[in-house]
Amino acid sequence: MSLYQLHRCVWDSVRASAVSSSNAGSHFDAGKYDLTDEERRAFEERDIATLYQLGLHPVLLNGFARASGFSRDGYREMLAVLATGEERTGRWQR
Amino acid sequence: MAEITLAYASSHAPMMAAARESATEEQRKNFFGALEWLRDEARQRGVQAAVVLSNEHFTNFFLENFPQICIGVGERNWGPTEAWLPIDKAWIPGHPALADHIARSTLHSGFDPAFSHLLELDHGVMTVYHELDPEMQLPLVPIVQNCAVEPMMPLRRAYEFGQAVGEAIRSFDGLDRVALVGAGGLSHWIGHPRVGDIEESFDRWFLEQLEEGNLEQLLDMPDSEIELAGNGAHEIRSWVAVAGAVAPVTGRTLAYEAIYPWITGMGVSHFETA
Repeated sequence: MSLYQLHRCVWDSVRASAVSSSNAGSHFDAGKYDLTDEERRAFEERDIATLYQLGLHPVLLNGFARASGFSRDGYREMLAVLATGEERTGRWQR
Repeated sequence: MAEITLAYASSHAPMMAAARESATEEQRKNFFGALEWLRDEARQRGVQAAVVLSNEHFTNFFLENFPQICIGVGERNWGPTEAWLPIDKAWIPGHPALADHIARSTLHSGFDPAFSHLLELDHGVMTVYHELDPEMQLPLVPIVQNCAVEPMMPLRRAYEFGQAVGEAIRSFDGLDRVALVGAGGLSHWIGHPRVGDIEESFDRWFLEQLEEGNLEQLLDMPDSEIELAGNGAHEIRSWVAVAGAVAPVTGRTLAYEAIYPWITGMGVSHFETA
């Protein structure tokens, strides 16, 4: 099992939804992917916050969230609890 | 030998095509006005082909194999891939001879670009290319860069790759006038708790560095610092490559707008090479 399998599963589902116009995950068989129980649950329940915490690539997370019917504002709200304060500054801020 | 007759970099965002009207009238006037001016310049200067650098969004490559750079060397490429992007789906003519020359020349310059005889072009290339040529007839050499999946090419290396691309174009004897375009950035977040934010101070600082030709500080920035301006800010690699290609010519900011409905700092910089 690896995070790669989750990435492949999510991306394949997003691609499939683009073709079938069905919502990502809803008619997609994730059985062939070697996922952990937590990954499978998060995928099937479209648990965006958990997928983010698991380390799903943000480009894929965005695609999956949008294909699942969530607006950007909607998924931002789901992720808000995971926002961490940033103490570092960039050189443009000094 | 070919000359880089026109060189510029522009932000891209799918919403610039899909939700154009969500920006204010003034923002649209400034941003699209700059691109319109560049389109007119391309016509007046007789541009014969465009090389467009942009980033890969898992459109052509996935984690099995993810090149840092891939040059589209085919007779034609397909785009846009996004069904919802309101740009006509079309075969976009390539320029195999120029693309092949860039691939060979950059190999001799110490780079190892991948190549593809058929690329799918997403909003990254298509939004900016479509603004350059709404008829989508101008031969296009797409160069996709990894600006999203770690580990990524350091900024300095992207600049040096741009230098190599510039040398390649200028040593090509099959055309006279080529446009070089970078498409991506500026600050934005995607798939992240900060999606929708724009780091305007970074964008303005970045544009200022291009104007001053003061790239040393910029090129030393590690990815962890770029990330403070958003995970989408890694796309400045396309801008930096253009800056490298035309150095010592510096950028002139034609437009900058922080367009929140498009979740992106939208800038346009022109490098006067003529």
